[in-house]
Order: sequence, then structure tokens, then C-alpha cells
Amino acid sequence: MVEKTKKKSRVFNYFCEEDQFAGGVAWCSGCPLELTARFVPKVLGKNVVFVGTPGCAAPVLHGQNVGAWHRLAYMASVMTGVPSKATGLSRYYRRIGQDATVVCFTGDGCATDVGFQPLSGAAERGEHIIYLAYDNEGYMNTGNQRSSATPLGAATTTTPVGKIGRGKTTVSKNMPLVMLMHRPAYMATATLSHLEDFAKKLVKAKEKVKEGFVYLHVFSPCPVGWRINSNMSIEVCRTAVRTNYFPLWEAEDGKPRFTVEIANPKPVAELTKLMRKFSHLKEDGLAELQKAVDERYALVKNLCDAYK
Amino acid sequence: MVIKHKNIFKTESAWSNADEKLLCLDTGSWRTERPVLDKEKCNYCGLCALYCPPQCMKDMGDYFEADLAFCKGCGICATECPRKAITMVPEGEFADEG
Amino acid sequence: MKAKKGQVRVITGNAVGAYGAMVCRPEVVAAYPITPQSEIAELLSQFKADGVLDAEYVEVEGENSAMNVVLAASIAGARVFTATSSYGLVFMYDALQETSGFRAPVVMVNANRETPGIHAVSSGQQDMISARDTGWVQIVVENDQEILDQTIMAYRLAEDYDIQLPVMVNYDGFYLSYLAEAVEIPNIEDVDEFLAPLKQQPERQKLVPGVSIGCGTHGMEMGYVEARYKHCMALERVKNKVDEIDKAFGDYFGRSYGGQIEEYRTEGAEIIVLASGSAAGTVRTVVDTKREEGVKVGMVKLRLFRPFPAERLIKALKGKKAIGVIDRSLCFGWKYGPICMELKTLAVNIGAIPILSYIDGLANLDINVPHIERVIDEVNAAAQGKPYQEVTWIPMEE
Ligand SMILES: Cc1ncc(C[n+]2csc(CCOP(=O)(O)OP(=O)(O)O)c2C)c(N)n1
Ligand code: SF4
Ligand code: SF4
Ligand code: SF4
Ligand SMILES: [Mg+2]
Repeated sequence: MVEKTKKKSRVFNYFCEEDQFAGGVAWCSGCPLELTARFVPKVLGKNVVFVGTPGCAAPVLHGQNVGAWHRLAYMASVMTGVPSKATGLSRYYRRIGQDATVVCFTGDGCATDVGFQPLSGAAERGEHIIYLAYDNEGYMNTGNQRSSATPLGAATTTTPVGKIGRGKTTVSKNMPLVMLMHRPAYMATATLSHLEDFAKKLVKAKEKVKEGFVYLHVFSPCPVGWRINSNMSIEVCRTAVRTNYFPLWEAEDGKPRFTVEIANPKPVAELTKLMRKFSHLKEDGLAELQKAVDERYALVKNLCDAYK
Repeated sequence: MVIKHKNIFKTESAWSNADEKLLCLDTGSWRTERPVLDKEKCNYCGLCALYCPPQCMKDMGDYFEADLAFCKGCGICATECPRKAITMVPEGEFADEG
Repeated sequence: MKAKKGQVRVITGNAVGAYGAMVCRPEVVAAYPITPQSEIAELLSQFKADGVLDAEYVEVEGENSAMNVVLAASIAGARVFTATSSYGLVFMYDALQETSGFRAPVVMVNANRETPGIHAVSSGQQDMISARDTGWVQIVVENDQEILDQTIMAYRLAEDYDIQLPVMVNYDGFYLSYLAEAVEIPNIEDVDEFLAPLKQQPERQKLVPGVSIGCGTHGMEMGYVEARYKHCMALERVKNKVDEIDKAFGDYFGRSYGGQIEEYRTEGAEIIVLASGSAAGTVRTVVDTKREEGVKVGMVKLRLFRPFPAERLIKALKGKKAIGVIDRSLCFGWKYGPICMELKTLAVNIGAIPILSYIDGLANLDINVPHIERVIDEVNAAAQGKPYQEVTWIPMEE
């Protein structure tokens, strides 16, 4: 038998609350969104209020009549109203001295597209709310259509591959940078392979939201839509970090810095081969995607270097 | 109008209330494979439990065990275990257990 | 007990809207500027800057957010206020439905203005009409004083435990927005006193951190039906409540408006002009002159548009010989104006009398004395059995 001398992972130390969700909920097998949803309240602790919206999170976050799938205080919203509702809640709770951490929990589609205006507004006003966007790079709940977060070349049901079509023809909106430009009190990217990194960022988020707006962008692959084997979704997160496809960084008071630096980044093909949404890409398509990844990474790196 | 309906909501507006009714799905029935642990190899690091999306792994003191009522059989625990202590075994092989 | 005399000031309708909100001590306010309402957003900000309004004021980036902010704050337990007009109201459309569906007692004033499509920076009731199926209570007022008084009454209505619905107070944009009239602003302590009964009722459900409750659950089958049924029943209860509150307001402040509808010289009248908003003032004058000429005419001013005051209208109109309805908006897909169209659903109860539809006052055009004289003459002729035109777009015939 192996010596049990090794201590349990440090990540457990960040948990200060029980899992708020029922044991069995409707998220697909192996979906990192489920891990995100369960993980966040465990770290944020008491007096969390979630505001959620249509998307893959809604079937679990919204109740069904009197029934609920979780124990969180919760407000459901249409996709256009999430940060504004959170604003209303947070303003009033602060006014009456009620301790509360108000968290918007939406998909990339809501954050980058139809719900972008109020997000930008709330960030500019410096509202005391945490906005967490789980990024599965498309509208998954409605059947894997493209969003502004869908990457170059990806096949979705509205950027399909056909005789002429080769997937999405534009690069994704660089949402973390867009949000950095709002100069939030705190912002970070995170993903599920790097749980301690994620937990630290949540702890910071909870502190910094007392000063102003917090944005968290969580890379959250969709095993079903991206066609990944269900056991591989955490590995996909890890590979996205190791290829610099999804760099892990944060910005406290507007100063960006990497939280994880990759010494020898792997080519993006290492990532794309783990899923089938890029399987139609030939060498040139992959080269274009690599170029987009490099460009984007360089942008963040230059910013980080500038603040060193 | 004769109302036969019995009110579902106590409130005037439609609110869910987990204390009144916590919903739960039998996600264990989704599984086609189940995680089987080789305790000999396990060093109680807990990574399997941390990565498990439904967070269904119970801390047994010196190892972790999947709650089969909720385990969806995704196989993440087996893939992520640094000591390869977990194997995914087809459910068919446990048919006898009912 | 009676309220003390308030402070009389000559101010615009917009300013009145801002004062009306201020004296009710809202805790969270959010508004986005739009002509002809902007002055309200500015004044409330100024009140806050001057320290006379102790509210969270959220300078939102659009009306949709304004509504969402006050909706959520209201669900958390706050008294809230917002104001808008036209494009702004239309831009709130989804949030309007959520607000009433969540049963949030939001109070909003809306300066009526035409809606997009044909761009028009001018008065008209099309905005309010476009929002009629959003589940809100909609009230239309006639003058500056009524804006103020109705705003106070709106809180008493919205936050009533038996109601729990958002209330929209509508006044004619441009006409009243920029019209300065002498208005009595009640003492804030008296407004406190008038709204005090709201504190003596059971607490409505609020969203509290740490409590396992969810606002805005999926209504599944009978859950959906039940929630909608309760909403509709609450709207039904609004009707009598509006009358009661109007009476209580009159007893305390010495001004009342008739509740759901105002009946003017309807007694002994054979024909009725049905009007709403600031046009009612002109109608009243013409009714007086026509009465002197021996025409048995009266006016009904529609104050409550949603819920539609069917019972009070039937009572007021039964036995009359003909009715003319003046609409300041359109009912796309029907040839009649919207208020006329709705009134026609009561024909079975009122009797098979001529109901003449008049479209007038669109896009800031005046509903003037000659127009109303024409209406009264034609309705009178119809009452005598003469042939009549069912629908008349008055400006198109000039
Ligand atoms: C205003 C509006 N338009 C469209 C929809 C339909 N809709 C529901 S979920 C969704 C996609 C959401 O995408 P995202 O936010 O990325 O969440 P995901 O489903 O990927 O988890 C859409 C378009 C909607 N609910 N509301
Ligand atoms: S569709 Fe994709 S993102 Fe949505 S729950 Fe299933 S796996 Fe997760
Ligand atoms: S990850 Fe592997 S070694 Fe670690 S606790 Fe789980 S089974 Fe044991
Ligand atoms: S197979 Fe998946 S759901 Fe089951 S215990 Fe392992 S990680 Fe959890
Ligand atoms: Mg998405």
C-alpha cells in the first residue's frame, strides 16, 4: 500500500461552504460548467446571491415551480437584464447594511452578445457585483450556435462546414481584454484544470468586489457541442492553458499580470485534436488559428510586461 | 367560476423554495461506466474529488468514493488521478448487483 | 385627520414627477434621459446632490437597465422609482413583463410620446398603448397636480399587499412635461402618513441572501397557470383599490379625481365624450358651452387604462344614446382607436348605441375646441338616429 503521507490537495482549504446543489442535476456528464457552478459558492461562502439567465446554467439555476435544484438565494433574469438586476440588489443590500456577495452567472453568449450592454454599463459604474462568464464558446443551450466568443474556424450550427463553409470566419471577441478596458477593481481569467488558481481568484474577487466591479472569465469547454470525450474536458482546459490558447491572468486595480506562465507553449493543434469542432481544419486553417492565438497572447503579454 | 386548483405557491408571486422542495435527478442511471478504485494505488490526494463535476465523491478518511446515486460516469476522476488508481468499468459487469 | 397645506410652486410637469417621487422617499432610483422626460432624471440627480433625496441613484446606460435595476431592488425590499417615455418604454419591453410577472411594486412615470417607426419627437399615447399587455397597472392623468397626487397614490396601490403590481403613471409628454402650473407639493411628513398603512400589512416575499429561495422560477404547467391567474386577479382588485385610494387621498389631502374614471356632467347627459389625459381639460370646457346651448352632453375621463375599468364605465354609460371616443393613439389592425376598441367590448352591457371613434392629437397636434365641438355635434346627430361615420381621423379631414 502507498504511504498516505501526502497531504490532501490544498484546494480543499479554500472551501468554506457546503455544496449548494442537489446531488443529481441536469448538466451533461463531464461538463465543466457543473464543476464551476458547484465550486464557486463553496469558495465564496455565505450570503451569496446568484443572478442567472437562459443558457445551459438555467435548467439548474432556475427553479421549477416551488422546487429548486440548489440552496442559493437566486434571481432569474432574461439575458438582457443580469448585471442590472445585480446592480439593483447590490445597491439595496449595501444601503441597508446587508452582507451579500452578488454574483451574475451567465454564459459567454449572454456576456459578449445580447447581455453585453448592461455588463459594460455596470462595469463602468463600478457596481459592487461579481460577473462570472463561463465560456463554452457558443450558444450551447439552444443547440451550439456561434457566439462572439466562438473562435476562428470553429464549426457550429450557424457556422457550419459545407461545400463552401469552413466554420467561423472571424476571430472571437477578446472579452477579458474588453473588460480590462473598463478598469474593473478586479478581473481574472480562470479554468477548471487550475483549481487553486481559480480558488485564489474567487477569494480575491470576494475581497475586491467591496471596492468595485469584478469580472471573471472562466474557460469551460462543452463536451457535447465541441465533441470531446466526457473524461477529457479537464484535460482540454489544461491544454488550452498550455498552448496559450487561454492564458491565465488577472488584473487588480487595472494592472494585468499572468498567474500561470507557460515556459514552452505547445502548438494549438495539440488542443484542437482533443475535440471535433476543429476537425475540418487543414494545415492552413490551423496556421491561421495559431496566428490568432499568438496575436492575442502577445497583446496580453505586452500589457503584463508594461506593468511589471 | 369554480376553482378546483390547489395553490402550488404560498406566495403571491412565483418563488422557488429549496427548503420546501429540493429537486434531485437520478443521474446515477445515466452511467454506462463506473469508477472503480484500487485503494492500493490511492494516496488520498483528493484530485479525483475536486475535479468530479457533480462533486459526488465522498471523503472516506483515507480514500474517496463516488456516490453511485449521482455519479454520471464521465470518467474525469480516472483520467485526472495522477496515480491511475481509478479504472472505468462498464456497468454491464455489475449487472448482478441489481 | 387632514394634511397641512403644502408648498405651492409653479413648476413643469416633469418637475412635478420628480417631486412626486421625492416626497415618497424612494430608496433606489434609476432613470435614463429621453425627451420629454429628461428633466426628471436631471432633477432627481440634483435632489440627490442637494441631499434632499436620500436614495441610491443609478445612472444606468439605458432604459432596459433602469427597469431591471428597480425591479431587482424592489424584489430585495426597496421602494423604487423610475421614469421614461416612448423609445425608452419600448426598450424596456422584456423588463416590463418581468417586473409585473415578478410582482414587483415598481412605480414609474411615463411622459407619453409617439413610438419609433415614424420617428417623431412629439406627444401621443402610442407608447403607453404599446405596453398595455405587459401586465402593468396603467393610469393616465390630466394635469400637473394630478401627476404629483397620482404618483403618491401609485405607491399606496403598488405596494398594497393585495396588489403587488407595478404602476405606470402616464401624462402627456410635451404638453404637460414643459407646462408650468401652480402645484401644491405636500409636506413629506404628510405623505409618510398617507403611505403609513403600507407598513401595517404582512410583509411580501423578499430576496434575502443566505435564504434558499429563488425569484423568477420556471412556471411549469399549473404553476404557470396559477401565477398568471393570481396576476390577473390582482389586476381585477386594482379597480376598487384605485377608487378607495382616491377617496382616502381626497379625505386627507383635499383633492380627488374620481378613481378609475372621472364623470363630468354625465348626470342627465344623453351623449358622452370619452377622453383621457390633458385633452380632458378642453373637453370639459366645450361640454360646458354645449350644455348652455342645450346639448345634453357629458364627459367621462378615463384615468385607469389597465386594468380596463369595465364596471365603472358600464355604470356611467348605460342608458346613454351615443358615445364619442377620442384616441390619441392607434390600434394597428383595428380601424378604431384603442380605447374605443376596448370600449366596444362592453357594447353588450351598455346597449346597442352608436360608438364613434375619433383619432386626434397624434404627433403633438392639438385636440382643440373646434375638434371637440365637431365630435359632440356628430355624436349628438348619431344619437338622434342620423347616419354617422364610424371612424374619423380628424386631422385628415382638415
Ligand atoms: C433575448 C433572448 N434571445 C434568445 C434567447 C434564446 N437563448 C436561450 S439560451 C441562448 C444561448 C445562451 O448562450 P450562452 O450565454 O453562451 O450560454 P450557454 O447556453 O452556452 O450555456 C439563447 C440564444 C433568449 N433566452 N433570450
Ligand atoms: S450542452 Fe455543453 S455546456 Fe451545456 S450542459 Fe451540456 S456539456 Fe455542458
Ligand atoms: S486522485 Fe487518485 S490518488 Fe488521488 S485521491 Fe483520487 S484516487 Fe486517490
Ligand atoms: S466518473 Fe465522473 S461523475 Fe463519476 S465519480 Fe468520476 S468524476 Fe465523478
Ligand atoms: Mg455559451
